Amino acid sequence: MTFVGNSTGAFYERSLAQMGTLRVSVERLQTQIATGVRIERGSDDPIAASRLRALTRLETRGQTEAENAARLGQDLSETANQIEGVTSILQRARELAVAAATDTVGESGRAAIADELEQMSDELFARSNSSSITGAPLFAGTAGAPAFVRDASGVVTYNGNNQNGTIPVAPGTEIERGVTGQQVFEFDVNGTPSNAFAVLTDLAVALRGGAADPAQAARDALVGIDAGLDTANRSQTVIGTRMSWVDAIQQDQDTRAIDVADKRSQIGDTDIADTIVRLQQTLTALEASQASFTRVSSLTLFNAL
Amino acid sequence: MPSSLISIGRSGAAAARASIELTAQNIANASNPDYVRRSIQLNEFVGVSRTDFQQTSAFGGVQIGGIQRPSSELIQRRARDSGSDLSRAEAELTGLRDAETALEQSGLYRGLVDFEAALTVLESDPTDPALRSGAIESARQLTETFQFAEFSLSNARGLVEGEINVGVEELNGAAEELARINLELVNSREGTAGRAALLDARDAALRDISEEFGIITEFDEFGGARVRIAGNPAPAGQAGILLVDGSTANTLAATIDPAGTASFTLNGSTFAPISGAMAGRTSALSDISTRRSELDAIASQTITQANSAQAAGSALDGTAGQPMFTGSDAATITLALTSGDQLALAPLGAPAGSRDTANLSNLVAAFGADDGPIVRTDQLLLSLSSRIAGIDTTREGLTIINEAAQAELLTETGVDLDTEAANLIRLQQAFEANSRVIQVASDLFDTILGLR
Repeated sequence: MTFVGNSTGAFYERSLAQMGTLRVSVERLQTQIATGVRIERGSDDPIAASRLRALTRLETRGQTEAENAARLGQDLSETANQIEGVTSILQRARELAVAAATDTVGESGRAAIADELEQMSDELFARSNSSSITGAPLFAGTAGAPAFVRDASGVVTYNGNNQNGTIPVAPGTEIERGVTGQQVFEFDVNGTPSNAFAVLTDLAVALRGGAADPAQAARDALVGIDAGLDTANRSQTVIGTRMSWVDAIQQDQDTRAIDVADKRSQIGDTDIADTIVRLQQTLTALEASQASFTRVSSLTLFNAL
Repeated sequence: MPSSLISIGRSGAAAARASIELTAQNIANASNPDYVRRSIQLNEFVGVSRTDFQQTSAFGGVQIGGIQRPSSELIQRRARDSGSDLSRAEAELTGLRDAETALEQSGLYRGLVDFEAALTVLESDPTDPALRSGAIESARQLTETFQFAEFSLSNARGLVEGEINVGVEELNGAAEELARINLELVNSREGTAGRAALLDARDAALRDISEEFGIITEFDEFGGARVRIAGNPAPAGQAGILLVDGSTANTLAATIDPAGTASFTLNGSTFAPISGAMAGRTSALSDISTRRSELDAIASQTITQANSAQAAGSALDGTAGQPMFTGSDAATITLALTSGDQLALAPLGAPAGSRDTANLSNLVAAFGADDGPIVRTDQLLLSLSSRIAGIDTTREGLTIINEAAQAELLTETGVDLDTEAANLIRLQQAFEANSRVIQVASDLFDTILGLR
């Protein structure tokens, strides 16, 4: 006798497989809710996983660039402080030179002015060798050594180089680190290269009797001091512009960081509302199939025997 | 005449009892996956005699014939074939998932990105000792990550290799078992319970074998199976490589070369499996080996880029840069520098303490380029996970096919408890009816004896 029956084993296998599938999706949804992450492993969604990796890199890069911009900002504001100091020294020197240029100042007055000028030259030298909060020289370009050195005869020369070095602060954007000592302290006077230190020291020497006509020497020195002021002011403007550039870039960085985080969340995060609804739906299906399984499996002729 | 009535009744009762026994056997084995539902064959028994060319016949009741087991070779074969395909996808998936876990959990991508970040932040202040130490520690972390990724990948490979070796042993066991069953089948009689049990065992052994390898099966007149493994290349003029023929089983051997290619030798021929778990493992193994080579290439590129950058630059003290890493691949990559001062960020010839970062910029650019280690690692992960996602989709399709084939097989061979319950009632009634026949015969006999 042959018959085509509905095998009991097949019924149990089928029910088991169906409920197993439902259980797997319930657990998956539950994990997505509990971890807040939609993609557990790359193979869940290879393209999204790759985009997440790219976004992770962007995020890390954004953090690095923000750090770079913050450091650059610190260095630039320190540089600006120092140049401001330099400007006020040169302004005071100009006032003194103007005072010394009148014939009414006597010899002792000129000597006092020379003393002050020498002090100011020392301060200028100290400022030219100032360093950032991490100890790197501010005006030496990319050279590490002190920016300016003074030899035994008191002549100050530039020891750095003329490269500023750049810092990457945004994709494709690199901002120069600062200004070199040459850009701040060195200039031409009547076609001859000179620097702020030489101008002050020379004037002091002239006022102490180094020149036949100290008043005339002081008048002549005004040209040099003005050139020094011009140079320092120009650098100050450059630094100021650069600082506002850094500010703008920092704002961009904040916006971009939010964008990146937003995209990350779109791609990789669980949509809680959607997932909970789907979980509820799957749970309902699972409960229903469990209930119907119990009902159907209890329907056996053996109960009637 | 009443005596023949009694014997008819007795034969009927015996047949009903035998059928009830068989029903009980079916019910007892309802959840045994290897069991094929049996039925009993009943033949009418008629006594015929011939005397002087006169034929006379008499009813003799019912005769218990043999035990019948539905032959379901075609369906069995379909279930086996779809099972082989599914096993292949599942085995490959298991192997590759291990590899994916190894690469993802090692955090290699993260390590490379962190290293890039540590170098980029150095550009802001190349002489800061804290930043230099940070970059060195990040490089050390990166070497450990490479080694861990390589270690986990070789673990994944080792697992697959272990599975291949265990699978080969199981297969050889199943093949020997099948050869023994073939031998016993020759000696068994048609229609006996023993033969039905042997056929069940034969189908179970075939199923076990087909999970490991796709097989081509032929049956001889005794029901013995001749099994060939579907492999590439197949011997000339044959569908596959002979595994079991009659009472002989050939022994399968597996060799795995260092490059990660598994090959199997059976009956004098070397072949690559086409289907079954072994085919999946072989494919996973070669895939993992390819990923390992790529991982090694990425490590080697990292070493080369960092070391040539070091060679083209000068360290903080103005001396020429020393190699950053030693080793040549993911397993051997080691940090050679001992302090952050040794990082050669400035171009060669720069004075001590130089804040020039031209050399560093070159390294950062090369490292982050589209053919650099970071992008290559992303591609490595992307291609692996895409492949897994692809196999997973295939596997879902194969699962449905396999479930359908299994359901069909169970419908054909499985026990339906409702049918058996109905049979039980029917047979009980038959038994009672036959007892009643004996009762009637006895009454008739008594009536005749009582005549006076």
